[in-house]
Amino acid sequence: MRSILPVSGLLLGVPGLLWAQTPKVSYVEFDLANGLHVILHEDHSTPIVAVTVMYHVGSKNESPERTGMAHFFEHLLFEGSEHIGRGEFDSYVEGAGGALNANTTQDRTFYYELLPSNQLELGLWLESERMLHAKIEPIGIETQREVVKEEKRQRYDNQPYGMLLPKTMEHAYREHPYRWTPIGSMDHLNAASFEEFMEFYRTFYVPNNAVLSIAGDLDPAKTRKLIEKYFNDIPRGTRPIPRPELREPKRSGEIRETVYGKDALPMVVQAYPIPEQGSDDFYAVAVLNQLLSGGESSRLNKRVVDTDQTALYCGAFNFSLEDPGLTLAYALVNMGVEPKTVETAINEEVARLQTTPVDERELQKVKNQIETEFVTANSSVAGIAESLANYHMYFGNAALINTEVDRYLAVTPADIQRVAKTYYTQDQRVTLYFLQQPAQP
Amino acid sequence: MKPVSLLLLACAWSGVLSAQIDRSRAPQPGPAPEITIGKSHVEKLENGLTVIVVEDHSLPQVSWSLSLDFVPMPEGPKAGASRMAGELLRAGTRTRSKAELDEAVDFIGARLSTSASGAFASSLTKHSATALSLLAEVVLTPTFPEAELEKLRAQNLSGLKALATDPGGISGNLRGRLVHGASHAYGEVETEATVKAIAREDLQMYHAGFFRPSVAYLVVVGDITPAAGVAAAKQHFGAWKDETVPQFAFPVAAAPRGNRVCFADIPGSVQSTLHLTHGLDIKPGHPDAIACAVMNTLLGGGAFGSRLMQNLREDKAFTYGARSSFDLDPVHGTFDAFANVRNEVTDSAVVEFLAEIRRVRDEKPSVEELGAILRYMNGGFARSLEQPETVARFALNIERWDLPKDYYATYLKKLAAITPDDVQRVAKLYLRPENLYITCVGNRAEVAEKLVRFDADGAVEYFDAFAAPVKDLAPAPAGLTVQEVINTHYTACGGTAATQLKSLRWVGTAEFGPQSAGNYTREVLFGKGHRIQLRAGDMTLLDQIVTPEFGSQTRKGAGTKAMEDSEMVPFREALAANRLVAAAAAATDALVAGIGSFEGRDVHVVEWTDAPGFSRRLEFDAATGFLVRETRMPPGEDTAVVTVFRNYTKFGGVFVATEEETTTAGRTITLRFTAVEPNAAVDSQPFTAR
Repeated sequence: MRSILPVSGLLLGVPGLLWAQTPKVSYVEFDLANGLHVILHEDHSTPIVAVTVMYHVGSKNESPERTGMAHFFEHLLFEGSEHIGRGEFDSYVEGAGGALNANTTQDRTFYYELLPSNQLELGLWLESERMLHAKIEPIGIETQREVVKEEKRQRYDNQPYGMLLPKTMEHAYREHPYRWTPIGSMDHLNAASFEEFMEFYRTFYVPNNAVLSIAGDLDPAKTRKLIEKYFNDIPRGTRPIPRPELREPKRSGEIRETVYGKDALPMVVQAYPIPEQGSDDFYAVAVLNQLLSGGESSRLNKRVVDTDQTALYCGAFNFSLEDPGLTLAYALVNMGVEPKTVETAINEEVARLQTTPVDERELQKVKNQIETEFVTANSSVAGIAESLANYHMYFGNAALINTEVDRYLAVTPADIQRVAKTYYTQDQRVTLYFLQQPAQP
Repeated sequence: MKPVSLLLLACAWSGVLSAQIDRSRAPQPGPAPEITIGKSHVEKLENGLTVIVVEDHSLPQVSWSLSLDFVPMPEGPKAGASRMAGELLRAGTRTRSKAELDEAVDFIGARLSTSASGAFASSLTKHSATALSLLAEVVLTPTFPEAELEKLRAQNLSGLKALATDPGGISGNLRGRLVHGASHAYGEVETEATVKAIAREDLQMYHAGFFRPSVAYLVVVGDITPAAGVAAAKQHFGAWKDETVPQFAFPVAAAPRGNRVCFADIPGSVQSTLHLTHGLDIKPGHPDAIACAVMNTLLGGGAFGSRLMQNLREDKAFTYGARSSFDLDPVHGTFDAFANVRNEVTDSAVVEFLAEIRRVRDEKPSVEELGAILRYMNGGFARSLEQPETVARFALNIERWDLPKDYYATYLKKLAAITPDDVQRVAKLYLRPENLYITCVGNRAEVAEKLVRFDADGAVEYFDAFAAPVKDLAPAPAGLTVQEVINTHYTACGGTAATQLKSLRWVGTAEFGPQSAGNYTREVLFGKGHRIQLRAGDMTLLDQIVTPEFGSQTRKGAGTKAMEDSEMVPFREALAANRLVAAAAAATDALVAGIGSFEGRDVHVVEWTDAPGFSRRLEFDAATGFLVRETRMPPGEDTAVVTVFRNYTKFGGVFVATEEETTTAGRTITLRFTAVEPNAAVDSQPFTAR
């Protein structure tokens, strides 16, 4: 990621959710002959436009010997193209009054320009250049390698509890490529050759592996013509696009690990495998997590922060991933409290969900919270462009921007009890303690 | 086939897909869209509460933001009381416990947050009446239950432990303390002691004193009409009783005399959290405010194309991001340039930061560079208007800072009028690259020594996580005396050959800066006189004579003048070949303070007070015995004179440092000696003639 923003949603809660009764987001979509999927959302309330391209490549598409490649590539693709000199992506966009950035997750890489609406064509030109013939040169590779190393130091090595996500993924996945995080290995990046970069580009950065999603002050018909002008001549990719087919095998017993670091207060993290996003059970687990940690009155918060006073804060959420993902719970343990005490409390709260159905009022409460989250999620054209691209890329169905909320609302007390029993089993659990390294004698 | 037909054929082919396009040039923009700012409605209630409503029906939600505008109170030994009061507003009211409040807020899917300077609630339109009544309840009738205070206190004490490894938190404490001062509300740092000292009465008093309608603004945004917004405000806050809010005036910290390097250690850290920062005395709405914003954006205010980002990230790859901020504040503002950089390049990053801050001050930006920045800012302004909260913030700023009503309506016009001269003018006026704090939170063992050269008095100051100075020294070996340390130095210099010299002459060069240098001669006839001559070519720039009886200084173009006694102190001391022996003996408080570090080597640190107010610190290489650094602090000043002695070389049985680097107030003079003559024939005549 080029900006100072978190790589993943960890600690940020569930992604934007939807609700039926709010204004519908309208859009048109079509495919170009080269396979590029296009989504357009028209909204004239502010004279701005968000031009975004989402490529269906993330760290899970990397070779285990070249982790960090997808994210590193995101940095490289700001270096220039056949017609855009080094550093000019920034100067074209910012000089036009726009802003730009990109980010990479386990599953996709996302580029965007936020522009005054009279500069829409500039955004199309830039993104088409990036897709058609990005220029990757040794000086850019060398510079961005150092920048990414600083990003890793800033985000992980030198960040309190920065190793939480990488360590959790490492232990929760032993086979699947989710076992490494998008930042990857610096040794791998050092070892990658120029040819490998070109190979990566030709494989993944092709129109048939991308979604062009544009939202804002635009005329759909005119915009379509401009898109055809800039993107039609980009050849369809011909190489097979590697996607991991492997599924993480069921583990044979609980994994318990202690990770030592600098941070003074213990952190307890639990992870259980759950089905991929979009499955019925995924939504039931999401609602379960909302019961556990959605708001001050949530069960886990009330238990460990307010009543027991054993934790400074806690959270529980679905880590949304394209392949089967995780549900996570974590708590920052108060000074002088045994981590085990907090772990036991979390387990007891999960057990209560397994044995006793949630009452209607409490379920209504979390659904009301979900409803509010959904409304807020569509408050910017940039957010709408990204949501539309996500829904198309992961589910082949952009209409979910208006209907996915029904999946959450359909969750019943019985569903919650069932998923609590099915997925929250001790033998599938990963429990990690993050403790301060004891002083050396 | 003729060329024409070929062309037609090509068109027919490509026409199926697309017209041929010229990819080599950026497309031209269409006509610039009109940028309009939404309407806001402002109304003052009888009790003094100002209500601002921005109507926007695009989403079915309403937010209520209450903000209080007053000068914050310094809390001294109870630092943190106002923050705790703010947090605990929603921990219990006259009619509801915290659990009941939490349940009420969550059940309607609302958000409710409170702080020392206000409170905020938002919800879907259908729940907005309930959300507002909850907001009013926590603002007007909080009870600050004892149990909730104790719970929060325990959490805060845990949090303070966690701070030890949080570079951002430590840096924030340090910068606040340095830039604003320990007695300023912005410079106070919460510690275990202050958090433990806070009582329930402190919270009640804070609330009773400051949560008053005449300093409050209720900003309503969203799916509501102005009439309905004001009516709701009246219903819930109309009976809120006004009282005069306490006023405070307190001094802000003076700017440092030179640059000061201030370091907080996180052992094992792989990055340095680096800030170059100083205070600002410019208030929001000042006529220079927009030019300052432009200047800061050009320097490092957010864009990838800013100078700091281009230099430190895209060119040098020192960092993931380098930025600057220029924050105007009604009490005391802050300029800050910052990045996280790896240990090895921390000093190089400081060089680049200082160079970029000076460049924006010393050179006008080009018309092209400025133009791009102005377009970037214009675009950012337009984008910000997508959120109705922006419109509300504009209205609030106009009210609380008493800005002209059309301040934002004419903002883009004012922005477009900024010239390269304006940018340089405000940079000169407000940026102080010679009087700022360089704060670094990171790996002391790997980084700190390399930052010494940026410090005006040549000494890095160390702080703990809570901005308290830390003693920088390891304990000295038991029994080591000042006399022994000084004697070891003179023994290393040659023993009696050094202490019983009759005279000494140093010949070499003096450098004052990149372009200033001269030939330098120093002669001492011990007991009689001390003379320094500085020449450039045939020209004598300086001729200074100090004897036990008089001192005179002849400067080119300034004539001859007698020296003040205070100016002559160090030169008179130097009339003794073993000057340190007598100086130490004359002090009543000389001590070996401990073992420090200088350029990676252990040093014995000796300190004493010379005359009233003058203090001295001497550092002797623990291995060789040589004096390597001498720091004199004149009375009443915070800029020391620091001399570093390097390259002790043997001349006729006596060891003399052939490099002396003296720094004061950010300026450095480096003397390099090519010839040193012990017992040289020194002309005594100037020391007798008056």
